Amino acid sequence: MKLILPPGLSSAQFERAMKAFAGVVGDDWVLRTDADRETYLDQYSPGLEESHAPSAAIAPASVEQVQAVLRIANEHHVPLWPISRGKNFGYGGAAPRMPGTVMLDLGRMDRIIEVNEKLGYCIVEPGVGFFDLYEYLKERRIRLQMGIPGNGWGSVVGNALERGFSGMGDHSGNICGLEIVLPTGELVRTGMGAMAGAKAWPLFKHGFGPSWDQMIVQGNYAVVTKLCLWMRPEDEASITVDVKLQKPGDLEWYVEATTPLRLRGVVDGLVRVTSYQASATVPTLRSEWYQGRDSIPDDVIARMMQRYNVGWWNGPIRMQGFADVCEANLKRVQDALARHTRQEFEVRRGPGNNQSGPSTYPLQMVNWYGGRGGHIGYSPVMPADPRLVQEQFERTRRRYLEFGLDYSGTFYIDGRSATNVNLILYSKDDAEQKQRVRKLFLALIEDAKQQGYGEYRTHLSYMDDVAASYDFNAHALLKLNEKVKDALDPNGVLAPGRNGIWPKRYRDQRGKL
Amino acid sequence: MKRPLLLLALLAGGVSPVLGADAPPAVGVTDGARVERGRAAFVHRCGMCHREGGTGTFILARRLGKEQSMLEQRTNLQPEYIRYVVRWGFVNMPRMSRVELPDADLDAVVDYLTARNPK
Repeated sequence: MKLILPPGLSSAQFERAMKAFAGVVGDDWVLRTDADRETYLDQYSPGLEESHAPSAAIAPASVEQVQAVLRIANEHHVPLWPISRGKNFGYGGAAPRMPGTVMLDLGRMDRIIEVNEKLGYCIVEPGVGFFDLYEYLKERRIRLQMGIPGNGWGSVVGNALERGFSGMGDHSGNICGLEIVLPTGELVRTGMGAMAGAKAWPLFKHGFGPSWDQMIVQGNYAVVTKLCLWMRPEDEASITVDVKLQKPGDLEWYVEATTPLRLRGVVDGLVRVTSYQASATVPTLRSEWYQGRDSIPDDVIARMMQRYNVGWWNGPIRMQGFADVCEANLKRVQDALARHTRQEFEVRRGPGNNQSGPSTYPLQMVNWYGGRGGHIGYSPVMPADPRLVQEQFERTRRRYLEFGLDYSGTFYIDGRSATNVNLILYSKDDAEQKQRVRKLFLALIEDAKQQGYGEYRTHLSYMDDVAASYDFNAHALLKLNEKVKDALDPNGVLAPGRNGIWPKRYRDQRGKL
Repeated sequence: MKRPLLLLALLAGGVSPVLGADAPPAVGVTDGARVERGRAAFVHRCGMCHREGGTGTFILARRLGKEQSMLEQRTNLQPEYIRYVVRWGFVNMPRMSRVELPDADLDAVVDYLTARNPK
């Protein structure tokens, strides 16, 4: 990838900054060859990779080096994009929002600082991957469980800071204290950690006064150098009910049946229900099923369901905890389902920790069209209301059909809200198809907005569009976010444009791609 | 490094991973410590996708056949090809940065994955 300089920076200014960065991290950790830049591009880019192309990468090895790098960035007006491990696939990977931004790669800071089995937490640095933490627990026979997302290749810290989630729920909700470096280089610990010699930093979320942890999540107000995360003690037993719903319209009664169970804590974690297609996209290629450029038709869907013995909607209901409680809750689940269907579902009893460990297995789905593939997701949050969920599915599927793309939807049912993850797969080498993907994505944002639903997380190329959809009182929240941004980051050096928040210096870049 | 030219050269030059030479497998390891370092780096940084059950193993099986899908069992991977795929990516293989896999570790991985090649 050729060099694209940050906006407003001359080549000479850029070179001076690179030299200053090398003075802190060493020449070996200022990465700026064509190949280096290429490694930070969005692997699954649904559009022009140049729109999110970095100019170089700086890789500090310590908190002190992070502080020094930020001070130099301020002095030389160099924008930085911090990443933990850069595996935010489907949302832009490692790449920055604004072309020319310099990567601040924290992958070398990869210590597991503490795991406390008795009190159920860990303290980790950004470079720690799910695989690293999983192996650490296994080797030491530590009986704690971790939430592992579909892509287990990424960072524990990065995933929590993006509000990633798994069957065990929202990972950002388990954050209990951060160590952060502000854009101007000051070191801060949040919550109880704000006290020197604090003993309860990873134990109580709020400390004294305003709580900052969630201000840092999905924002661009600080670089996180340590994160305290609550972990769940290993359970005595687990029971899984494998639900298969035969018709698209069964979604409505399923939400009605499961929402009260989730609200009352009868079932554990989110209730996930996924459309049939997930069973085929991982093990097979699309060409084995259908050659047309329109959406896969119903007769092919029926063949997929038959071959893999799946329903139109599929997903587990999980109970974890003490064995007798799980059995009692299983009865409640079966009673709730029996009020709507005579169908019997398979029940599996397993160990308390029934996780199989981090995996990248689901990433095979990007090979769906053969050749180089990618995916993005449109994921609005809505009420866990049976009728509204059914309508959301039907409206969304009609859009997929309109733009000739294969529907692949999941609803994560919580007690109150439902998050509707709509997966869009494409070939990176099919320009016409990628145009349809973009049109579909923008239509879905608009449709959801009409209903009063907004996305919980999005791809780099849509951050401004999604931020604009949060428009109460003339975008009052975005204005507040940018007021805070300007106060904390007067030179706009940290992650300009992340989640639609632009510092004053680069505000004219909003909407540019 | 000129990317397209190198790829063409690799594929045209008889070092495609598809085309293995018909020679006896697995000869001796030349530098045990370095190969062991490569094995550790491979397990740590590549194993998620390229060991049993990994997504890379599945996609390679689809493209080249099951017998070519496990990188650790291959006897026809060439050093320059491994370096190229790691740094520039290939088909659905994501690129890996020098932070994630430093050059010295990549060298060791290359030694490990080519140790079984016929000499």
